[in-house]
Amino acid sequence: MPTDWGSLLIQLFSGLSRAMMLFLVSSGLSLIFGVMNILNFAHATLWLLGGYITFSIYTLLAGYYGVSILLLAPAVVAATLALFAIGWAIERTLVRRMYGRELPEQLLLTFALILIIGDLIRLFWGVQNLRIVLPIEPMPVLGSFVNPYLFFIIAVGLIVAGLLWWFLARTRTGKIVRAAVYSRDMVSALGIRIPNIYALVFALGVAIAAFSAGVFLPIIPIGLGMDMDLIVQCFAVVVIGGFGSIVGTFVASLLVGIVYSFSILIWPDGALAIIFVILVAVLIWRPWGLFGTEMRF
Amino acid sequence: MIKSLFDKVDLTPPVLLVLGVLFLLLPLLPGEFPLVVGTEILILGLFALSFNLIYGYMGQISFGHAAFFGLGAYTSALILRPMIEAGQLGYVGFFLALAAAVPVSAFGALIVGFFCVRLTGIYFAILSLAFGELLFYIVFSWYSFTKGDDGIQGLMAPSVLKSGLVYYYFTLAVVVMAALLLWKITRSPFGFTLRMLRDNQNRTAFLGIDIRRVMLLNFVIAGAFAGLAGALWGPFQRSVSPALLGWHQSGVPVFMTLIGGAAHFAGPLVGSIIYTALNAYVTQFTTYWSLTIGLIILGMVLYLPGGLLSVLDGWRQRRRKAGT
Repeated sequence: MPTDWGSLLIQLFSGLSRAMMLFLVSSGLSLIFGVMNILNFAHATLWLLGGYITFSIYTLLAGYYGVSILLLAPAVVAATLALFAIGWAIERTLVRRMYGRELPEQLLLTFALILIIGDLIRLFWGVQNLRIVLPIEPMPVLGSFVNPYLFFIIAVGLIVAGLLWWFLARTRTGKIVRAAVYSRDMVSALGIRIPNIYALVFALGVAIAAFSAGVFLPIIPIGLGMDMDLIVQCFAVVVIGGFGSIVGTFVASLLVGIVYSFSILIWPDGALAIIFVILVAVLIWRPWGLFGTEMRF
Repeated sequence: MIKSLFDKVDLTPPVLLVLGVLFLLLPLLPGEFPLVVGTEILILGLFALSFNLIYGYMGQISFGHAAFFGLGAYTSALILRPMIEAGQLGYVGFFLALAAAVPVSAFGALIVGFFCVRLTGIYFAILSLAFGELLFYIVFSWYSFTKGDDGIQGLMAPSVLKSGLVYYYFTLAVVVMAALLLWKITRSPFGFTLRMLRDNQNRTAFLGIDIRRVMLLNFVIAGAFAGLAGALWGPFQRSVSPALLGWHQSGVPVFMTLIGGAAHFAGPLVGSIIYTALNAYVTQFTTYWSLTIGLIILGMVLYLPGGLLSVLDGWRQRRRKAGT
């Protein structure tokens, strides 16, 4: 295990950036579960789809204007909007029919989506891993070199986390969403159209996930099967933090991201196993998570 | 007379009888391929039947049931391998290797279940998934003991059992015995206690029943039968790999049970026939197997949530209505 400060710092930054991605994906997962009581197994698969769409748009743009980091921005925005629309459509046509159904049936529906979307990705993009290569010079930090893009990702992650918090805490729609976590019936009784709120939350959750996939393309190549690795980690994050709690999801993302990134130094094969040990411990000790309330348990 | 009998009796014996006859006659189909598919249907069917003890009868969904299937497969493989290498594989050793899988898987289920039965619903599902993945990573990275990603190759059954036909009938015999035992369990007072706590845990506890103990016992029984199914798998596929413990494998009994119908004892078996046969034959025409099974599951969840055997219930209900 390397012990010089430089490489530890690199692990810290890569852990933090990983934590940001975990947060962006898990926050949607947690929100969807909190509001609709649906555990969206396909969340990371939609994340993956967002990554592929970003890649295609970026490649198209780069073909016209040449390789540039600036072109990533419109590609990410377009993919985020596309996934917002796809999320909306999925909620309207499929997920909607699952409210009030048994938990296993809900899980199976989203599981079926994983299989279908996964194969559609294979149909359109093939099986090879895709990556956007950007000409970014590594920056010297304490005698080691860090990819400055990591700092950008951490900053973007924090900004989106802040926006999400602002949306939930300060806007009218956000307050309705939070109220729906506690009592759908009451919100509905106030004359607010719950079905629209559901569609919005689902679409928003999926869009944020797609956004993170696009932003991460320059450092993480995407490929089939990555969605399952990610969804299992996001479950861990959401359970550790507590379902429905955005603060809990944020703290748990930091915990899981950093633990993962440091355990890779010690035991590369077992990095995920360590996360599962933490998850099992939390589930046994506080099944409702570090920041969740016992309410739903 | 026959009509009213059809309305009253439990449908499980006739369904099992029909399936049994079909399985006995299956080798009449030409070629080796139906035998391979048939053996797979039986082994995975037993795996799914054991899963349904937790899902259909206890009302909890386990996403880590493959851990016990894989544990059984590895136990028998690790015992068989040295015997095969030494060229001393006999019937006694073979049967002992298969039998050893049962207590090992049961013990694994005891440890995992001890924690899982404290939770219900979504938390039960995620904890079982986490334990399953944990065991997967242990098998995956413990190279010196399990050969990690390489798996254990060159497994086989002794002399006569090596033939596909004989191994098929051997599997059929084991699965029939196991299924009858499972059926007995679900018809016992213990089985009815399970259904009771599935429907209402609090009221069951009020009756003075230790629900955690009942759930744990059931989890261990389910794990033991999954282990038996796993033990049959190694000599059939000639190898075992860590994927047998992974979440993908855990999804298999879930799909099968849903397709066949969780409310019927024979549901998972019927599901296994459909799932495995589709898998075997559809993959010859298209590589998009996930898409196919995904669409099938989507259709089932939306339009036939009770599974295929729930169609029988529908008939019965209509008949009853018409009668009165």
